[in-house]
Amino acid sequence: MATSSAPSGPFADVGEREEALRLAMFVFLGSELLLFAGLFALYVGYRVLYPAVFARAVGYNEEWIGSTNTMILLTSSFLVAWAELRARCQDARRAAWGMAAAWLLGLLFLALKFLEYREHWERGIRPGAGYAFAALQQPGASLFFTLYYLLTGLHALHIVAGLIAIAVLTLHLRRHPHDAGNPVRCELTALYWHMVDLVWIFLWPALYLIR
Amino acid sequence: MASPVPDPLNPGRETRRLALTLLALLLLAGISWALAHVGLGAWSTPLAFAIAAVKAGAVALIFMRLSSGTTAARFALALAVAFIVLLMIAVVTDIQLR
Repeated sequence: MATSSAPSGPFADVGEREEALRLAMFVFLGSELLLFAGLFALYVGYRVLYPAVFARAVGYNEEWIGSTNTMILLTSSFLVAWAELRARCQDARRAAWGMAAAWLLGLLFLALKFLEYREHWERGIRPGAGYAFAALQQPGASLFFTLYYLLTGLHALHIVAGLIAIAVLTLHLRRHPHDAGNPVRCELTALYWHMVDLVWIFLWPALYLIR
Repeated sequence: MASPVPDPLNPGRETRRLALTLLALLLLAGISWALAHVGLGAWSTPLAFAIAAVKAGAVALIFMRLSSGTTAARFALALAVAFIVLLMIAVVTDIQLR
């Protein structure tokens, strides 16, 4: 099956169509980064206003989970980049394995995140008016954890979307290993997954390290 | 327009490049973690974000292949990053000047 071999729509050839797809993906990723930047700007603003409380609040996040998740996402980013390379070499079988491995790591990331949420919830570390953590009651503490839930929750939603995309792509690679559109499919999915990684690269120090 | 396609004839070299990038990223993450426990005071925040920026650059240039990407793609992402930097500067300036 070679679904992408013929030109389609307003494009003169497949190459031109793929260039347009790449550009559209980069514009989409730019808008996604701006979405996270809005929340991150709130974090920066309140961190400047409540430096001591934010520094203490960071200490109540599970550093081992944040750090392990960093290693997980960096490794999964490598795997999707490698899978994309294999797809470009017309090696759909290895590309599918690379994507599947990245998918498993993404799932592990979510499992650890859920573990941390559960632990926080049991200790009373909840967003907004639900905040009831006795050990940290100063002004700004509830704000920190509300931003923590917003930033990590939005990021987790992007992980879920990425996992769905990777799962669909992996199945496609297994079922249609000779599809000429496989390389560009892998490239676009990989770009999205790298963006998710980029966001976490900044969330990790902000929410787990800087005290 | 330059094609962002890697050299398909040399997947071994490209794989090594990706693996070395991953090693560098893990090393930088380790440095970030270690510095967070050293107690650098006021330097801890700028250093942590500087290392994060280097890691983000490596992901963008090597994993996302922005170094060999088209001018239009680079421009789209660079514009978003420029807006983000502008937003952060505006927020911090606003709070500092109150």
